[in-house]
Amino acid sequence: MKKLFTLLIALVLFSPLQAQSFFAEDGEAVFISKVPLHTFEGSSQNLVGLINLDENILDFYLDLETLDTGNGKRDRDMKLTLETEEFPFAEFYGTLVSPVDLNNSEPQPALAKGTFKIHGEQQEVEIEGTLQPTSEGLLLKANWILNLNDYDIEPPSLLIIKVDENQEINIEILLKPYSEDQ
Amino acid sequence: MRFITSIIFLLVFSSSIFAQMQRQRAVKDGPVDDIFRIGSLIGMSTVVNLEARNLNSLITHNFGLVSSGIEEFYGLDQNAAVRLGFDYGVTDKLTIGIGRTSVEDNVDFRAKYIVLEQLKSDKMPVQVAIKGDVGINTQKNTQFDDFTFQERLNYFASLMVARKINKQISLQIAPMISHFNTVKIEQTGVVPENTHYGIGLGGRYAFDERKAITFEYLPVIGDRSPGTKNHFAISYEIETGGHVFQMFFMSGKWFTEQHLLARTNTDFFAGDFRLGFNINRVFGL
Repeated sequence: MKKLFTLLIALVLFSPLQAQSFFAEDGEAVFISKVPLHTFEGSSQNLVGLINLDENILDFYLDLETLDTGNGKRDRDMKLTLETEEFPFAEFYGTLVSPVDLNNSEPQPALAKGTFKIHGEQQEVEIEGTLQPTSEGLLLKANWILNLNDYDIEPPSLLIIKVDENQEINIEILLKPYSEDQ
Repeated sequence: MRFITSIIFLLVFSSSIFAQMQRQRAVKDGPVDDIFRIGSLIGMSTVVNLEARNLNSLITHNFGLVSSGIEEFYGLDQNAAVRLGFDYGVTDKLTIGIGRTSVEDNVDFRAKYIVLEQLKSDKMPVQVAIKGDVGINTQKNTQFDDFTFQERLNYFASLMVARKINKQISLQIAPMISHFNTVKIEQTGVVPENTHYGIGLGGRYAFDERKAITFEYLPVIGDRSPGTKNHFAISYEIETGGHVFQMFFMSGKWFTEQHLLARTNTDFFAGDFRLGFNINRVFGL
């Protein structure tokens, strides 16, 4: 009986330390918007990400109000379009399907499956990218196409020309080793 | 015993259940957005500035008096007054600009600085800005040929205080002063004022993210030039991705505030107003 209690306490105390997690809150997220004869992009350096390799879990989110297109008025229009007061985050939560070899410092193909949520709508997605172990942590790069209509986002217009509903999204984030008691 | 085994089993497996991170806003406080959509309501400046390295091109038109009737197609047949201007955000708080008005060929230089920003937290409940404008009458005709550079100058200064009360309503009050180095005596024995003081009042009601109605009223406080009236204008504002269109009815034909305050000579509420429109286009440089 006493052994069981000891085991119980040990599990409670030490199980969080077993996790092999990487975390960052200064990742870069970029979107590229296109209208005929014109392309503009917006970016943020506030991408927050957590990867738990034990569970193969990825958890990322971005405060959309940190996106900057270099044009204040366009930024305000974007926030209105995304309704950031009501839906402040773009987020992804899913699993890492492909294995990662932490002893290999080359970029390794990575495939994640999970739920992407923005504007109060969510879709199941698969996102491809690369994971590269470095001396500082784990470097993740990924890009995909986000279709605004899938998330009930009305593409904004420049005069009568609508912005392309397909937005190219690029993220890059260096996640550093992290223990859950940090 | 079975109970304890169950707890251990649960702990072993539940400890590996990975909960989502708690989402935290990166921007917890900051300036209130869109107190007004752009740097001017109709003719009166607002507390809103361009962001750094943004350029706004502003084309302002108005026509003749609507009260001129169908013979003049409600003023559209009469000569349009036009101001073409450019404003540039030097920093997020300082905007400078230049413009030229077709009436009296007035070229004006202006600057606006945001002194205090209204904060989302309401720690600062209002936004405060100051503005200065110096105009020069560059017209060359018999009326002005003998004027020196100094005599052609006109000035304006205001202190603007505004608050976005909620998503729909924003209000502004702006004590202001205008001064003309030279005023024209149109009637013997009646001397116009060089300097006028006023309290500008303005507001905006937003129907949604794109459409709003705005107004401005510039009553003169104290002495005023004979025959002048308080300026009033009301506008329907449409935001269309990069552009802000303002279609309005206004009393006077002027566009710079020193002229709106001191030289408006038609009374909106007596039915003497004119149709006009502003086109704002903001570029990121």
